[in-house]
Amino acid sequence: MTEQPADESGITGATLAGDPAVDVRLLSAVAAGELGALEALYDRYRTMAYSIAYRITADATAAEDVVQDAFLGVWRNAARYAEGRGSVKTWLLSIVHHRAVDAVRRRRPTVELPERDDVPPAGLTLPDVWAEVAGRIDADAVRRALLTLPVSQREALELAYYGGLTQLEIADRTRAPLGTVKSRMRLGLLSLRRVLADETIVEPAGGRRA
Amino acid sequence: VNAARRLSCDEVRDLAPAYVLGALERDEEAAVRDHLADCPEAHAEVTELGAVVPYLADAVEQIEPSPSLRDRIMAAAAADPARAASAAPTPTAARTEAEPEAPPAVPQSMPIDRRRARRAWADASPATWLLRIAAVLVIGVLGAWNVLLQGQVSTLAEFRSAVATVADAAAQPGAVSAALAGSGPQSPRGVAAVRADGALIVAVSGLTATAGAEVYEAWLIAPGGTPVPVGSFTVGREGTGVLRATAAGAAPGATLALTREPAPGATKPTLPIVSSGVVRATT
Repeated sequence: MTEQPADESGITGATLAGDPAVDVRLLSAVAAGELGALEALYDRYRTMAYSIAYRITADATAAEDVVQDAFLGVWRNAARYAEGRGSVKTWLLSIVHHRAVDAVRRRRPTVELPERDDVPPAGLTLPDVWAEVAGRIDADAVRRALLTLPVSQREALELAYYGGLTQLEIADRTRAPLGTVKSRMRLGLLSLRRVLADETIVEPAGGRRA
Repeated sequence: VNAARRLSCDEVRDLAPAYVLGALERDEEAAVRDHLADCPEAHAEVTELGAVVPYLADAVEQIEPSPSLRDRIMAAAAADPARAASAAPTPTAARTEAEPEAPPAVPQSMPIDRRRARRAWADASPATWLLRIAAVLVIGVLGAWNVLLQGQVSTLAEFRSAVATVADAAAQPGAVSAALAGSGPQSPRGVAAVRADGALIVAVSGLTATAGAEVYEAWLIAPGGTPVPVGSFTVGREGTGVLRATAAGAAPGATLALTREPAPGATKPTLPIVSSGVVRATT
């Protein structure tokens, strides 16, 4: 599978990302303590990792801290990656996402978060639910698919995933009952899945299509 | 682990959309995860809802991090105490307590790992200056990883281990060491140490591969003296070289130099010197 972010230059770290088998080999080398493999992984995913961290934190310094924490987490916990339950890319980006969300929640005085050191290696214990729908979808297709959703659904997904808000906070922010927020997220995810599956050269990567 | 209440399957189904989006409080998230870990039910809805979530990460505008982030991460990983046993050279000698002094570009509010890493890197005790070079060296050979994934792994591992040995040797009483460099930014760089008993170890990266009978020869040159050959080694396409030899009389002030020779056994160096450094006491 190829990751090709919509980037005019075409020259980003992410363009190196690609062969999942190479990722798995790199990750086992990281688990064996090879710094070089860590750097190679970094070069493959630094752009994607930083971009998602920046989108969530909206702050360059915070985003870099998130990426650093995430890669140090990978360095320490590479052995805990379970092959067959999602790609290395997905696993890595889920760690970045998790830490970025923690970072923005920590900024909010109202939200109680455990002290940083008490947190288990965040993201590494994340759900293994991010098994991709199928092989190959480009960023534009995802953006287009998001635009097909009703505004309230798209807003719920964006506040949750990019905003780092909890469902309660989304309900508060959008002045909607919690139950409504839950169904908006559910319906939004399912529609997104349907739209993307239609766009995709369907090759369910070990995945079940609905 | 499951400090929170246990959830029922219905509750998990209800929380599933927020769970896959990361929109639960972390304790709720842990409760869902714990449930999924033990539940005999498949909870296919979680997989179904979560399937598209990775694509939300793909949809964001792509931005490059600053180039310095790589160095920060690699330095922190190299000095990471949690992985010290298996990672790049961080012998115990480096673990002295030193007042942390902030290097540039590292923000104030710093999680514990970075604080520790920073301490190891800020430590300027005489025995450890070489360590920093060593860690940078190990990081330096890494470009090779993207292209040499399969074949050269053991060579790179040997190099890494040699660098660690150099760092360890340099930290011993009576040892001397040298940092080797050439004339350009891409030129071969290396570290070397000679223990009190005369055992020499050299690790160099960035060398051009040898072909045929070619070797790299190491020379010790006492101030005002003539070059004395110390030993030779070959280099593969990953560009790293390791030499273990005996070099009695490697006193501070001598120069350790590398040349490329058409064959082993040279008695006079074939110029130019590809990399060299002055031997100094490290303890």
